[in-house]
Amino acid sequence: MVNWNGAPGMSAAEIEARKDRFRILVCIDGSDECYQSLRYAARLGGGVDADIVLLYVRPVDQGLRSGGLQVRVARENMLKWGLELPGIQYLKKGRDMLKELGIMAGDEWREEVAHTDVNGDPLGDNKINYINEQGKMVVLKLKVATDIATGILEQWELGPYDLIILGASGRWKGMGRSFWDPAVAEKVAIHAPCSVLVARDLEEGHGHLICTDGSDEAMEMVRSDAELASRCDCPVSLMSVALDVEEEPDAKANVEKAEAMLKELGIEVKETIIRVGNPVDEIIEVGPDYSLIVVSESGKSGLQRFFMGSVAFKVMENAHNSVMIAR
Amino acid sequence: MADHPARLQSLQNRIRVNGITGLKRVMTLGSWLNLYFFWEKKWFFIAMVVGAFMLEMPLPEGLSPEGLIILTMSVVAVILFVTEPVPLPTVALLIIIGQVVLMGHDSSEVAKSLVTDSVLFIAGSLMLAVAVVKQKLDKRIAWLIVRMTGTKTWRVCFGITVVSGILASFVGEHTVAAMMLPVGITLITLTSDDPRKVRNLAAVLLFSIAYGASVAGIGTPSGGARNAIMIGYWKEFFYDPTNPETYKFMVSYVDWMVHAYPMFLIQVPFVTAILFWTFRPEYRDLSRAVVKLRALIEEEGSMKAADWMSIAIFFLVLLGWITISGDIGMGTVAVAGAAVFLIAGLVRWEDINSGVNWGVILLYAAAISLGLQMKETGAAQWVAEGFLAFLSPLGANEGFGLWAAVSVLTTGVTNMMSNGAAVAVLGPIVLKVSVVANESPIIIGYITAISSSFAYLTVVGTPACTIVYASGYLKATDFLIVGWKMAIASSVIMLVAAKLYWPLLGV
Repeated sequence: MVNWNGAPGMSAAEIEARKDRFRILVCIDGSDECYQSLRYAARLGGGVDADIVLLYVRPVDQGLRSGGLQVRVARENMLKWGLELPGIQYLKKGRDMLKELGIMAGDEWREEVAHTDVNGDPLGDNKINYINEQGKMVVLKLKVATDIATGILEQWELGPYDLIILGASGRWKGMGRSFWDPAVAEKVAIHAPCSVLVARDLEEGHGHLICTDGSDEAMEMVRSDAELASRCDCPVSLMSVALDVEEEPDAKANVEKAEAMLKELGIEVKETIIRVGNPVDEIIEVGPDYSLIVVSESGKSGLQRFFMGSVAFKVMENAHNSVMIAR
Repeated sequence: MADHPARLQSLQNRIRVNGITGLKRVMTLGSWLNLYFFWEKKWFFIAMVVGAFMLEMPLPEGLSPEGLIILTMSVVAVILFVTEPVPLPTVALLIIIGQVVLMGHDSSEVAKSLVTDSVLFIAGSLMLAVAVVKQKLDKRIAWLIVRMTGTKTWRVCFGITVVSGILASFVGEHTVAAMMLPVGITLITLTSDDPRKVRNLAAVLLFSIAYGASVAGIGTPSGGARNAIMIGYWKEFFYDPTNPETYKFMVSYVDWMVHAYPMFLIQVPFVTAILFWTFRPEYRDLSRAVVKLRALIEEEGSMKAADWMSIAIFFLVLLGWITISGDIGMGTVAVAGAAVFLIAGLVRWEDINSGVNWGVILLYAAAISLGLQMKETGAAQWVAEGFLAFLSPLGANEGFGLWAAVSVLTTGVTNMMSNGAAVAVLGPIVLKVSVVANESPIIIGYITAISSSFAYLTVVGTPACTIVYASGYLKATDFLIVGWKMAIASSVIMLVAAKLYWPLLGV
């Protein structure tokens, strides 16, 4: 994980305190998918040490497209009529959902409203923090950015997150289409410094399918995701795919290594799966029996990925259910 | 001596880096470069490579060396307009640089060629637009609409389309979209708090505003920048003060209205019909919302002196365009109107300054300047001949077929970039096409300017679409779902009018 060095206006103590917390960023766009993922986030973030941040990204108002009249003229006119900015409704619905789920139980929640000016937009970023006595935070954030993916990634800079959850908008496209218009989930998954969960019909309670190839990165990922799974009491299954029959013992060894490690941590593994074949196809085939597929980002650099692709991203693109890329 | 360990560490680091060999080293270097910068800006580099390639290729037959340079600049500019790897005003700056460096023009000459009456008109109308939106007349207009229409959803939508349209035909579609957007959203939120329960209603109401304003933009020269650009081109290309034959190319405000206004009026019922056919709103009756809206508006009280004043100024501007714009130029009238609003204290300069995107004016200025160069260097002629040669096997190189081809070409281009830029780029070419094909440049010019408003398919197509999209109630795909029907209906109406109505006017 990339080191986070704090956001402007934070003291060193605040920065340190924030690094210890388990922070989840849920991207809200008003779709069913995003509220499903919020439900999941509530389960993961039920503990005292977890913060949940709901983010809605609004494209920055700019006038080049509107024939020279700035969109802000229309926006100011709308505010004069007492109309809310788009997105506020969606965020409030998310907050009400968290209340229903018992995340915001008790009435000791303090409310703080904050506003940040943003270049090029008269209304800037707005957020409401809800903080309780133990320091647990729920944040509603309305952000402006040039595009949605950039907004989500900028939000990471403002406070480190352990997990970004966003709904797959059905906009995964092949290389040809993404050349024109890269999908939001794709861009966030590639650039985010933390784990990214792309939710598709995310259901609780079916467990995590953790895929490993035995590398150090993968082992580290197995450990961190097993901890995550234990936060929501989700059962953990391990999977490894061998490219051909000869490599099958290696795959078996990889899974056993991971299982032994988890046992040491006191986490029980529900089952182990060894398959032979194309890793992407095999993982996608097994996937739907679980809540989510967890894959680790391989150590490939941008250039290598450009030419060779990566199992993790292919799984993310083609899977039928939720996929998490762990970092 | 205390820094010894640190120095040792740095030495070790250096050895480690040097220890990496071969491919791995290249990879390390690759990760240092920010590849993503190049990926984000790929279209800029592609455009530059295309440009370099075109400049180096052997001169095509019939094209002068200057023509090739201008053609290259146009192609590069179009790629950048469509793909937007850099902020659009950058393209304007690049055009200016290209004219001085590649063409060898004098810097002062290039600067002079930037400002024409069309550009002045665009700047003036934008200032007027901000002034008009700031007058808070929107509530009065909303009151007028709901008083006339009653509470049935289709009647409210039709009323919004008609009123948006009539206003937009004079003050420009962006002005009306900015004014009417709160009216539409207020009606939506008063009907239901949950945006998902009123998705189709929202689409119908907001598209009534956006498309009502868009179809009206063709009505008068002040309806959109593209019209002013076309009038400018007619004058530059064909007007010769010594030849009375060419006086018809000085198209006046009234001339334009006579040709185009009926076309807008015919389109209005189609807008409502197509929207209802496509979206089928959840509520057939909006009485709850309308009653609340009326109460909201009545809090405002009666019209104040300032309100009457701003209406009066606006009518004076309109009168100026109709009567004296032939003598002093439409741009001058627009600028004068903005000046009067400022003198009367009805709008603050700060509001105008922050409400107008000055980059757009620069962009139009550069695009028009490039368009005129297309004509002067013969590049437009060359492209026009190629275009006709391409069309002749299809039988579309003359008459009605050519009109349809020009309309389809313009509609295609305008959906990918702002409609003013589309006319600025295509204008010189289609006007030369009309000359080569022995067609009337006036008809072809009208067809191009009018077709450029058929950008219903994308969010970025017309200013009104961009503004209503900012409300957050519409999805980009909504524009596609309904846009193609609108584009077909509008094209058919325009071509029929061109065939049956314009001949009556003796074009």
